[in-house]
Amino acid sequence: MIRLQGISRYFQVGDQSVHALDGVSLDIGAGQYVSIMGPSGSGKSTLLHILGLLDRPTSGRYFLNNRDTTDLDERAQAQARLEQIGFVFQFFHLVPRLTAFDNVALPLVLSGTPPEDRNDRVRQRLEVMGLADRIHHRPEQLSGGQRQRVAIARATIMNPAILLADEPTGNLDRASGKDVVDALEALVQQGITLVVVTHDPDIGSRAARRIHMVDGRVAEDSMPGGLPP
Amino acid sequence: MRFIDLIRLSSSSIFSYRVRSTLTALGIAVGIAAVVLLTSIGEGIHRFVLAEFTQFGTNLIAVNPGKTTTQGTPLGILGTVRPLSLEDAEALARVPYATAVVPVMQGNAEVEGGEHTRRTTVLGVGSEFPQAFSYGVGLGRFLPSDDSLSPRAFAVLGSKLYSELFGKRNPLGEKVRVGSEHYRVIGVMESKGQVLGFDLDDTVYIPAVRALELFNRDSLMEIDVVYEADAPPDEVVGGIKRILSARHGKEDYTITTQQQMLDVLGSVLSVLTFAVGALGGISLFVGGVGILTIMTIAVRERTAEIGLLRALGAAQGQVLLLFLSEAVMLSGMGGVAGLLVGAGGAQLLHLLVPALPVKTPWMYVVLAELVALGVGLITGVVPAHRASRLDPVESLRAE
Amino acid sequence: MRTPDRLSYAGTALRWHRGRTLLTLLAMGIGVAAVVVLTSLGDGARRYVSGEFASLGSHLLVILPGRNDTAGGPPAMLGVTPRDLTIADTVALLRSPAVKRVTPIVVGEAPVSWRGRERSVPVLGTTGDFVRIRRWQMARGRFLPDGDPERAEPVCVIGAKIRDELFGSSDPIGEWVRAGQYRFRVIGVLAAGGRSIGVDKEDLVMVPVASAQTMFNNPSLFRVLVEARSRESIQEARTDVLAILRERHQGEEDVTVITQDAVLATFDRILRALTYTVAGIAAISLLVAGILIMNVMLISVSQRTGEIGLLKALGAPGRQILQLFLIEALILSLMGAVIGYLIGNAGSWFIRYLYPSVPAYPPLWASVASILTAMGTGLGFGILPARRAARLDPVAALSRR
Repeated sequence: MIRLQGISRYFQVGDQSVHALDGVSLDIGAGQYVSIMGPSGSGKSTLLHILGLLDRPTSGRYFLNNRDTTDLDERAQAQARLEQIGFVFQFFHLVPRLTAFDNVALPLVLSGTPPEDRNDRVRQRLEVMGLADRIHHRPEQLSGGQRQRVAIARATIMNPAILLADEPTGNLDRASGKDVVDALEALVQQGITLVVVTHDPDIGSRAARRIHMVDGRVAEDSMPGGLPP
Repeated sequence: MRFIDLIRLSSSSIFSYRVRSTLTALGIAVGIAAVVLLTSIGEGIHRFVLAEFTQFGTNLIAVNPGKTTTQGTPLGILGTVRPLSLEDAEALARVPYATAVVPVMQGNAEVEGGEHTRRTTVLGVGSEFPQAFSYGVGLGRFLPSDDSLSPRAFAVLGSKLYSELFGKRNPLGEKVRVGSEHYRVIGVMESKGQVLGFDLDDTVYIPAVRALELFNRDSLMEIDVVYEADAPPDEVVGGIKRILSARHGKEDYTITTQQQMLDVLGSVLSVLTFAVGALGGISLFVGGVGILTIMTIAVRERTAEIGLLRALGAAQGQVLLLFLSEAVMLSGMGGVAGLLVGAGGAQLLHLLVPALPVKTPWMYVVLAELVALGVGLITGVVPAHRASRLDPVESLRAE
Repeated sequence: MRTPDRLSYAGTALRWHRGRTLLTLLAMGIGVAAVVVLTSLGDGARRYVSGEFASLGSHLLVILPGRNDTAGGPPAMLGVTPRDLTIADTVALLRSPAVKRVTPIVVGEAPVSWRGRERSVPVLGTTGDFVRIRRWQMARGRFLPDGDPERAEPVCVIGAKIRDELFGSSDPIGEWVRAGQYRFRVIGVLAAGGRSIGVDKEDLVMVPVASAQTMFNNPSLFRVLVEARSRESIQEARTDVLAILRERHQGEEDVTVITQDAVLATFDRILRALTYTVAGIAAISLLVAGILIMNVMLISVSQRTGEIGLLKALGAPGRQILQLFLIEALILSLMGAVIGYLIGNAGSWFIRYLYPSVPAYPPLWASVASILTAMGTGLGFGILPARRAARLDPVAALSRR
């Protein structure tokens, strides 16, 4: 599913070169539940951005579904994000002037899906997230947990193979956080590949595979439950 | 992305920033309103002047002595060694399609009648003058078609000259003195008012040959030829040239068709309308800078949203299109509002000042709207391009 | 808060949002520049016309034969009357002590030829005093002779264009040309110099006035130019001219006398009105720029809500916050106006560079008015956002990011 080969990412800060990622190689199989942990500046967010095709590695190769993405053009990358990858962010990133419905429908709008095909899909997705009665509310009228569930609905509306979550519970209280984690794990049950970046060891330890990063390298890659069958 | 979704998405941001969008569109609206209002006045004046000119009909050709003109006036009117004679005028009756031929001699003399004297314009003309210039006789009749070389001493008064001399008395049959000659009044023209600064009502009309004698001239100032409305003007002009050149041995006269004058006048007035439109366009330009400013601010404010859209799979082109359509919608809305205000203002002006002719030129309205959309497009490009080039990772951090 | 502190506080805010500040300045600048350039153009045209009138000669009166009683109507421009205005009338005008010089004018058109080359040209009959009154220069030879104006001497003076077209590169002085049925010896060539109001001096043949009258078989004059002794004696000259001519014309006043000043005043009025109109139209763009300032300030207030809350928490009264935002609006409009003023002056310099004969300097009133209007709109459109800032509730303002 995902194969990283010697991925490095340097940033130029002033006249200094900062190695955010330093030769990361990684294979993630379809349907895996992976958590990435590590201290601030360890490169876990950069890794997530590269996995999500938002950022390009300085060197190394990234195969997504056996396709080399490193030399895809901007358009093709956008298309891949649209169809294969879903994002969930710490700060939700809902468009404040759009209703829950319209926020969830955004990827369908971007892909040019006809309106009549959108309606049921969006409603169904919001119902699954337990937001049936919040369809026409705007983000400011929703609680943090509800907002993040809208964001998850939006991330999965195109049925992507990979869901990337960046501190999905970082901005939530414990109860809401648990709801969100439950929702994400329910998706794993349905076969999605989930990669969660988190500070929170409680969340991180729930994943089947735990990657620990230090200074832009994979320090530890463990699978306590053994390889899935 | 579907077009309707593009519109919905852009309008959602326009409507969520209501005050800001209103003010931005207002800038464009003021510019468009200025252009529409100013060109309406310009076009109104244009039409007014053309109407003044064409009230004598458009199938009119003037022949003046001499070949050179300065500032549109044939110099031969003032003095020439190649006179145009009454015989020339008579010969021109043979021009194909000609319906009337009027010799004209204009001067200025003292007119006395009914115990009053008044210095005024004297027009020596032929009997076909009223018919040629569609200018009716109010009382009595016009000069009869006597032998043009020895006509009877009859005079016809303009309506103002009549009332100045005779008040309300019946002037028919009364004697008037024009210069040193005595004439019998046989008619009064209907009132025509000022035509381009020339008061036809304060004028006395006498036979052309008597005007030549009165002013001691041997050349007419002008011969006017009226032709059938559906006749080809070129053939009429050709006929005039043939007859006069045969009589004079060379082309020592100037022919001006009414159409030529209208064309020249029309182009001058169009330039005027364009000029005031362009002046109003300065405001439109400033309104465009307004859109540029507001869109630049919007891109900055909505950086996180742009990052999100990119993360969701929007291509750069889609982000560009989104912001561009926002700018164009702002300017388009301003354009429509400005059109309503401008056209409405023009109508209001027309009601308040009925003397001021106002006509909203639709060509300029369409042009102004296109310019408004163009302004939105051009001023939207820079911010929209900046939005599309934002680095998605950086933008997502902007919240 | 001390004024320099206020200014520097507002300044930091403007510098921080450099892009929008520059664009707002640009908008205001365009408006002011448009007013400055257009008024300099209008005023330049006005001064140009004044200059042209002055170059007609000083203290000038023009006599036209004919007079209309029509109120407000134009004078009888063609000047055709039963009683001729004659050369003798012209000479008689010199009896007035207020009159310094007179010159009669006859205008017409005639075919002029030399060695088979023929052209129809404007012919102007006048006397030797013409060049002194109109201050024309000669390129070669001399002008028409002085002496008895009734004498039809067979000499002529030609314009530069006529010389080129008839004579090419050969010397015209002393050559005989035919005009109408008469022959004239060329004694001079007028200096080139384009148009002088009413006449193209390059496309012109000048002959003694009596010769022109014979040529056109017309004993009447077209115009008489009278030069008064001084500016003060113009009115006296006018009265004398009318009196002398009335006496010579059996008590009938059948001429119109136009003074140079009256014509100049009319043109001046028209061109001033035009300048005001154009300035007014251009000033609409100042209104648009004012709207933009309001818009940007409103955005600024909503973006800086937290900052305003902080200022209030630190003890700034609403009044002071109002002043801070008004100062920002004022700085925007004033700087925009100054930039526009500079651009406008550059623009009018460019006009002067392109058309050196047009003295296109922006009039002082326009510069002052446009800058004041700019500041006025800035202040007027700044009040609403500034009041909104001043009235923000500090708690709510602080709680918002």
